[in-house]
Order: sequence, then structure tokens, then C-alpha cells
Amino acid sequence: MITQPNLLEPGKDLKKRYRTDRWFQRIGITAITLALAFIALLFYKIITEGYTAFIQTKIMLEVDFSEQTFAKENLAAADYPALVKKSLSELFPEVTGRNDKKLLFGLVSSGAAYKLEEMVSANPKIIGTRQKVWVPAASDVDMLMKNKIDRNAPQENRRLQDNQLAWLDNLHNQGKLEKQFNQTFFTSGDSRDPEMAGILGGVKGTFLTLLITLTLAFPIGVAAAIYLEEFAPQNHWTDFIEVNINNLAAVPSIIFGLLGLAVFINFFGLPRSTSIVGGLVLALMTLPTIIIAGRASLKSVPPSIREAALGVGASKMQTVTHHVLPLAMPGMLTGGIIGMARALGETAPLLMIGMVAFIVDIPGAISDPATLLPVQIYLWADSPERGFTEKTSAAIIMLLAFLMTMNSLAIYLRKRFEIKW
Amino acid sequence: MIYPYIIPSILALSAGVYILGLRRAEKVATYSGGLSELHSLPTHYGVFAALCCAMPALLVLVLWMIFEEKVITSMVAGNLPADLLRQSANELTLVINEVKNVAFGGFTATSGNPAIEKAAVAYMAHLTSARNMVSILVVFCSIIPAWFAIKSIGKDLRARNLVEGAVRIVLFACAGVAILTTIGIVFSVMFEALRFFQAVPLTDFLFGLQWSPQIAMRADQAGSSGAFGAVPVLTGTFLIAMIAMLVAIPIGLLAAIYLSEYASSSLRNWAKPALEILAGIPTVVFGFFAALTVAPIIRELGTALGFTVSSESALAAGLIMGIMIIPFVSSLSEDVIHAVPQSMRDGSLALGATHFETIRHVVIPAALPGIVGSILLAVSRAVGETMIVVMAAGLSANLSFNPLATVTTVTVQIVTLLVGDQEFDSPKTLAAFALGLLLFVFTLALNFFALRVVRKYREHYE
Amino acid sequence: MKASSLLVAGSLSLFMVSPAFAARDYISIVGSSTVYPFSTVVAEKYGKTSGAKTPKIESTGTGGGFKLFCGGVGVDHPDMSNASRAIKASEIKTCADNGVKEIVEVKIGYDGIAIANAKTAAKLSLTRKDIFLALAKEVPDPADATKLIANPYKTWKDVNPTLPANKIEVLGPPPTSGTRDAFVELVMETGADTLEVFKNLKKADAKAHAKAVQTVREDGAYVEAGENDNLIVQKLQSNPNALGIFGFSFLDQNADKVQGSAIEGKLPTYETIADGSYSVSRPLFFYVKKAHVEVIPGIKGYLAEFASDKAWGKDGYLADKGLIAMPDAERKQMAANVAGLKVMEMK
Repeated sequence: MITQPNLLEPGKDLKKRYRTDRWFQRIGITAITLALAFIALLFYKIITEGYTAFIQTKIMLEVDFSEQTFAKENLAAADYPALVKKSLSELFPEVTGRNDKKLLFGLVSSGAAYKLEEMVSANPKIIGTRQKVWVPAASDVDMLMKNKIDRNAPQENRRLQDNQLAWLDNLHNQGKLEKQFNQTFFTSGDSRDPEMAGILGGVKGTFLTLLITLTLAFPIGVAAAIYLEEFAPQNHWTDFIEVNINNLAAVPSIIFGLLGLAVFINFFGLPRSTSIVGGLVLALMTLPTIIIAGRASLKSVPPSIREAALGVGASKMQTVTHHVLPLAMPGMLTGGIIGMARALGETAPLLMIGMVAFIVDIPGAISDPATLLPVQIYLWADSPERGFTEKTSAAIIMLLAFLMTMNSLAIYLRKRFEIKW
Repeated sequence: MIYPYIIPSILALSAGVYILGLRRAEKVATYSGGLSELHSLPTHYGVFAALCCAMPALLVLVLWMIFEEKVITSMVAGNLPADLLRQSANELTLVINEVKNVAFGGFTATSGNPAIEKAAVAYMAHLTSARNMVSILVVFCSIIPAWFAIKSIGKDLRARNLVEGAVRIVLFACAGVAILTTIGIVFSVMFEALRFFQAVPLTDFLFGLQWSPQIAMRADQAGSSGAFGAVPVLTGTFLIAMIAMLVAIPIGLLAAIYLSEYASSSLRNWAKPALEILAGIPTVVFGFFAALTVAPIIRELGTALGFTVSSESALAAGLIMGIMIIPFVSSLSEDVIHAVPQSMRDGSLALGATHFETIRHVVIPAALPGIVGSILLAVSRAVGETMIVVMAAGLSANLSFNPLATVTTVTVQIVTLLVGDQEFDSPKTLAAFALGLLLFVFTLALNFFALRVVRKYREHYE
Repeated sequence: MKASSLLVAGSLSLFMVSPAFAARDYISIVGSSTVYPFSTVVAEKYGKTSGAKTPKIESTGTGGGFKLFCGGVGVDHPDMSNASRAIKASEIKTCADNGVKEIVEVKIGYDGIAIANAKTAAKLSLTRKDIFLALAKEVPDPADATKLIANPYKTWKDVNPTLPANKIEVLGPPPTSGTRDAFVELVMETGADTLEVFKNLKKADAKAHAKAVQTVREDGAYVEAGENDNLIVQKLQSNPNALGIFGFSFLDQNADKVQGSAIEGKLPTYETIADGSYSVSRPLFFYVKKAHVEVIPGIKGYLAEFASDKAWGKDGYLADKGLIAMPDAERKQMAANVAGLKVMEMK
């Protein structure tokens, strides 16, 4: 037994006792403030680094979609890069010489040609006309415009030469160089050019994968928790299962990747790099978290509730489903939130099942090769190009947005179930 | 083509059967003198009928899904010309892939073989007819048992026991998944680990005090003594996990108690989810933060105080990891503390205890099993974390308990060994599996111990 | 319960798709994280210009890549493997045992390894001997040059009086990394062999020699910093005394933050690496399964794109990303090999 304080003599050191209480409260506030301050700091860092990725420097070109360029039947076969080069040369007729021209063409992203192609295939009527087109600038130009490259550094230390700077200033003065909203970032898949890279592939892959994880891990986890806590006989076998599950929570995530490779890909023959395998592996990984949280919350339901239900003639199953489970649900949802949050942050297990990969095409189904947002972040963080630094932070912002949307649903449900009695 | 919609169809059918079963049970009840005459509640009869409808159908469907590929492929392969068949089984999969590509994707066969085109057409035909047949079979397999089930509904049918029995089996199966996972994990690391122990003696691995896989880079030096001693890696793991827990347990637990016992409900409503965000921030982000912000601060501070601090320290990694796992402690503990019945608090307060005394002597003991569970989960997470340590604490294995030194952890070593550039069957790569197994056994022992302790305490409390 | 019914509806829609898995109509590539940035650029260009599906490229590490690559012939196995070192005999044997008998080896160019420090610090001029003495676990005793002792040097000045008196602190890749392997071979070994004691040892006991010259010190002077080279660059900025070892492309991209140290008087630049005067560089490869070329759509196109001068040539787009092009003759030879799918000889 815990020694009880002497409650029979209230006046004795009441002041001291209340002081302890206030101190305890203050320590609690400090703890929360500390944790929240850290979150605020992280958010501040991520957002200040990442918000620039949502805008993108563009250059206005006047493109002559002359008919002779599109003489061939196939519109896709036309030489779009040449169109871009021609327009640039028109802007700066004084630039001659092979090297200078190469520098000049380097100001515009290689994505400009794809943009023109898109325009033509969307609306073939523009052939034969001159159009003003905003095309993305190269990443180095973008970095310069966002002050992430120091233009006063000596020439050999920066990736843009002096004459390139002069051309850019010229364009800027004419109003042909502008920062605009970066739509590409939300509508395209991965790319090795920072100015063309987008997160749609990652977002969609994450959605598909986590949907599988959630639909498998949450029901199975809750069911397992109910079985172990309410139905399983108390013997060594149950102890063994309990230790096992606790142990699974400590298994490094990459080992789950090895398991997924051996079981789902090599044994069941599911295709590599797909959301379905990723979802299954992440489900196995989050299962222990959900089971442990579920058991903890079932344990916290007072026995009197069960006894009352059994006493009025409910079966064991009815007691659990009608009375115990609703009371334990908030805790189970917390386990779900934390488990899914963890699944959303993991890259290591995905490495083994081929999801840490360069995948440009946006996945449409669970059996398409896909990658996830955390993988995208990991790959971008590892890329040499300077432009990927801000993209990495922007992808993290998107991941957090994804996480918060997912959590708010669970939190809404948790609130509905919560009872204080 | 009903096949793509077969699962929703089965579900819709079962829903219909549920209603039919319910109706029939109600009818039986009216004829035999009221609901109390029935053995079970009408919904039980409904669920019973619905289960009889859905289960056989889903079973057939799943079986087909597993074997569809093999059946269709062997049908198509049987008609391929002999020169394409004369290949090994693996090469045949390439041919079949080509056939499927032509069939689905509209590619013209790259090799231009007319036999492939023909096979593609046959493939589509086989697939369509087989799927139609399966769809019909599935529908039969749902309607016939459902019909019998509805027929059998009478006042003496023990529907509740049957349904509850089925649910119990499902619950048991779900708990079994965890066991299967464990077995799978043991098997997927065991064979490679055994191969590793053929190259490096078990005793060297378990008791060696030096972990330095660099010596074994070349094949002729594999197994140089002392190179694969796991002790420094393990101590590094526990050093970092301990630092993390020193951060996470006080902050997490205090936050949980404050939110549950003192805070206004509006603060609680937004602070708890806000803390949970920490669990979902990708570990790469924490890693960058630890390596580029925290580690330099610690180095400056330590140097100013006269300590030798390496630029990558266990302290930086451990601190940040501790912050990452705060929500594991705070949210889960908050839930269980919140679930302690108010009557217990009221009783204590009514006796004149202050709020703090109530918490300390009544609420916390009552919530203890759950709190211990949450802490165990947090420890597990700390042990399994990789990225933060790779980035902030480095990869060199030092046998040291100095938090200012560079250490490494088991998971970090596993990851770097597995994704390295060396040969995959060299002892160096295999060491990753041995480490995995070691960690598994170690945490198993720890958990077993923890269970004993918790059990003892719990019995004491009740 | 609207939200949960929404969830149920969402998960149901998952099962609406036809469960049969479609055939593989894209190229699957695995392997080295060093080759990854280059092969992905080619893959993207190929995907965008040809209209075919963009190849899927996994970054698994060279060893993991070969493990998958040599798993067998068939759709379940990758078509190509990127490698930051040549395939080893044991791996060729594994391949052959699993039915992968015809492999085409393609060398794509060179990757320089830079030893750099922050711009705020003084530029260093090192020799390989200096680096060896600073980083080896055992060095000749300054008092008695025939004896090996545990590395006593604390600062660069101890190693070579012309260098600054900064603490030796080098951030580099872990021993599992191919970059580390190349660094050890190209810098440490050559550096050691300028010393008399190692020359003698080499003749007397090749094994002991290899062990001595390849072992990097573990007392904290060499920091194993993981393979995220961006992180090394940023750590260098916050610690001007430290040196870092990483790929040339990261130096190229961060020329305003870090500077390469000269080795034997040569600074790491595109030109010095290409003409071989900066000696710390290694070849990069990829390997193709010939059996897959005809049957997986797109392999031929991808190979043609990779082996074109606009990709791996001196002014090609890969050079912009930091890949050092092969000399003209070698490149021509390789392009011919690719076009003719010249199979490697099995040893």
C-alpha cells in the first residue's frame, strides 16, 4: 500500500501543500510550453525555408509558332527546344558565339520546351501565330531571384556568369522576368530539374499507401487488442504474445522492409515498388503501436462497467462491443494517430521494397509504381542541386498538411467518443 | 463484365440478406409469441445470414485472385509455339510479360513475333471468359448458403452463439497476425545471420569490444578478430535511447498530467493534437535540425565549459530524439489518465487532499499500467530510430558512455550496411542481419523483464 | 458517423480496380546512389521526349543493386543495375547461377572525389602523403621511420609544417560506401606507398600491407558522417576547421560555400578531373541484361539516349550535373558497345 498523507489534520501545513500544488502546475505548463515552443521553432524553420518553393521565376518569351516548324504530321515530333532557342536569340540578337549562346539558353529551364509542346497539343490553332509565353527559368536563375545565390561573389564561385547576370537584369527591367505562383509544384511528379519537380506523385502515392495501411492496421490492431485484453485466457501463451507485440514495436523499421521483401514480393509475388506492398509493410509496422495503445485504453476501462453489463445479462461479446469498446475508443484512436504519423514519416522500410525510387509518372492505382512524400523528401534532401533545398522544405510543409488533415479526422472522432465520468 | 465490381456486389448482396434474415426472425417472433421467445436478438439472425452469404463467396474470390495469374498464364503458355517454350521458366515470364504488354498496353510486340500477337488475343479471351465464370460462381456461392441460412432461422437457432463464435475467431486471427509477423521477422533475418556466424564466431560478435567493419572491406580480411564486436553498438543504442527518455518521460508525462488534470478543455483540445504532430514530422527533418542547429550549440557550449566535444555527439541526437517521442508518452498517457473515473478524484478531494496529492496518490497509480505501456512504446521507438542518429551522432562505434562522444546505434549500422556498395554476400552486409537478430533478442528479453515488473506492480495495486 | 462512412466508402473504392496486376511496361533500374543522379536525368529526358513511361530507378546501393539484378531473368527482376564500382567476379558468378548469363557493361564516365573545406577557411594544398599521415590508423614513428605506431598527429601542422595548425577533423563516408573505398584506394594507398616502410612491407607481407594502408583512424579525427553529402557541406560551413570528403557534383553546386583542396597541386575542377591530372576520381558503370533488351519496352531507347553525345558528351547535360565525361576515344568505343550490346566475358 502507498502511504496516504495525513488528511485528518487539514490546517497543519496546508499552505505548503497548496504551494506544492502550484509548483507542480507551473512545471506542467513549462513542460508543455517547451514542447510547443520546439514545434513552433521547427515550423518556423521549415516554413521560412520552404515558402519560396511555392513561387517560381518565369521568363516571358515571344514564341513564333511558325507553320514550317509543324510541317510534320506528328505535333510531338516538332523541335520545341529550337523554338525556345530561337525566341531567346530574338530577345538578345547581339549574343553570338557558341559559348555565349549556350550560356544564354541556359537561363531557361529545359521544361520550357515541354510547356510549348503542351500548349500546342492543347490548342493546335496557335500554330502560325506569335504568342507571349511565360516559361520557367532555370533553377540557378530562380535561386538568384530568391537571393539564395550571392550575385556579388566572384564569378568562379557562382553558377551564373557575369554576362548572364547582365542579360537577366535586362529582362528584369523589361518586365520579362517575374516571380509567379508555382503551379508545377502541385501538378507534376518528381523531376531532376528543381524548377520542374512537383509533389503530386508523392501525395498520391502517400494517399494510396496510407489508405491500405489504415484499412488494415486499425481494424486488425483493435481486434487484436480486444482479444488479448478481454477474451484471451491469462496464461503463459498470452504473456508470450504480449511480450512479442511489445517487442515488435522495437524492431527497426528497415527489418520490416526485409520482411516485406521476403513475404509479399518474393513469396506472394506482388509487384515491387507499389503502394500495395508499401501499405502492407507499413501496416505490419504500425500494428504493434495500435495494439499496445488499444490494450492500454482497454485496461483503463473500470471493471465496474463490465460487471454491470454482465450483471444485467449481456454476453461477454455484447459487454465488450456495447460498453467497453466505446469507452476505450479515444485511446485507440490516439494509437491510430500516432501509428499513422509514424508510418507517414518512414523511409527505411520502403528502401527494401523498392519505393525509394525515381518515379515520374503519377500512380493511378495501388499496383502502380509509387513513391511516398517522406521518400521524396529524403531523395530531394540528398540531391546536389541547390534548388532542391527549398523544395525539400516545401515538401515537408505538404507532408505536415497531409498529417494534420489525417489527424483532424481522427481527433474529431476521438472527441465524439470521449466521456469523463 | 461484373468482375471489377464483384466485391461491392457481394457486400450489397450480404446487406440484403441481413435485412431478409432480420425480417424473418421478426416474423418468427410474432408467430411464436413475442421477441422474448427467440433465442437471440433479431439482428443476430441477420448477421448470421449475412455472414453465410459473404464468407463462402469471398473465400472463392480470394482463392481465384491468388491463382488467376497462374491459371491464365499456363493456358496461354500451352499454345505458344515450341521455340518460345524451349526456355527456362524465368525467361518464359519475359515472353508472358510481352504477351500481356501487347494485350493490355496496345504495344506492338518489340520482337515482332506474330505468335506473341496471337497469344495476346488468346490471353484476353481467356481472361475475360474465366472472369465471367468466376463471377457467376461467386454469386452462386453467396446466394445458396444465404438461402439455407435464412431457411434455418427459427426460434431455437442459437444465432448469437454462432455469430459471437465467428467474431471470436476473427479476433483471435487478428492477434495471430502479430505472432506471424514475429515468425516472419525471425525467419527473414535468421538465414543470413547464420551465414554471418559461419564467417565470424558468435563469441567474437557478442563479446567483442570493437566494431569496425572497415577492416573487413576486402574479402581476404573478413573476420579479422575484434572487427565485428557488437558491444559498442549496443551501448551506443542504449546511451542514446536513455538520453532520449530523460527528455521524453519528464516532459511527456508532465504535459499529460497537466493537460488532463489542470488545463482548460480548450487548451487540451488544441495542445494535444499539436504535440502529436511531433510524431509525424519526418525524421530527416529532425536529423537536419539536430546536426546543424543543436550539435554546434552543444559543441560551443561544451568547449566553453572546457569539455572535449566531438562535432557529432550522442547528446544532440538523444535530445532531439527525445523531443520526437514526446507524443508517445504525452498522448497515450493523457488518454489513460483522462480515463480514470472522476469518482476516484472526487473521493480523494472530498477527503481534503490537494489536487497534487490526488494526482500523486490516486490518479497516477490508477493509470500506471497504461503509462508504463506508453513509456515502453516510446523506448521502442527510440531504439528503432535511424535518421537522426545517422545525421547527428555519426557512424563511428565508440565504446563510451560519454554523451559528448560520437556513438552509433544498431539500427544505423543495419541501414548503412544494407544500402552500402559492398558485395551483398560479404560478411559485412550479413552483419546487418546478425545485428537485427541480436537487437530482436535483446529487446525481447527487456520486454519480458518489463512485463514481469509491470505485472508485479499491478497486482500490488489491485 | 459521417466521417467514418466516408472512410469506408474510400476504402471500398480501392477494391473497385481490377485485381489482376498488369504487365510491366516500364524499365526497372536499381543500384548505386552515386549513379542515381545521373541515370535519373537520362531517364527523365527519355521519358519526356519519347512519350514512353519513364524508367523507374531505385537507389539501393551498389551491392543491393547487384543482389537484385543477379536474382534472375524475368519481369520480377530489374533490367539494369547502376554501380559505382565494376562488378565483382563473385557477383558475376551469382548472376550466372541464376540464369543471368549475358550482361552488357557500360561505363558512363568519371566521378571526382573532392576534399573540401568551408570558404571562410584558408584553401589547403595537400599531398596524398599528408592525407595518409593525417588519417591512417598507424603511421611510421617520426623517431624511427621503420616502426609503425598509432597515429599521434593532432593538427595538420604536425603532419606537414607548411599546413595550418588546425585540428585534424575530416567528415567522410562510412566504410560501407563506394566513395570511401575509392578514397582509400586512390588516396590512402598511394599516399602510403610514398613512404619507405610501406614499400618494404608490401614486398614482405602483402596482407599486412593492405591492412595497414587501408585502415582509417578511429579516434575521432575521421568522422563517419553518413552519405548525405548536402549535410556534410552544411556541417563544413558551421565548422571551418573541418574538411569533408564528397562527390564532385556537390562541390560544383556549392562553389559559393565550400572550396576544394588542391591535391598534388591540382584543384578539383571539371578540366583537371577530365584530363586525369586531378587523380582522385573513379569510373561509374551500369549493367544491362541482354535478355531483357528485346522484350521490355523502352530499353533500347533509354540506352540510345544515355550513349548519345548530348547526354554523356563533354558538353552534354550529364556534364552539367557533375559527371566527368570519358575521353573521346573511350566514349566512342563505349557507344559502339552499347549499340552492339557487347556482352561481358564471363570469368
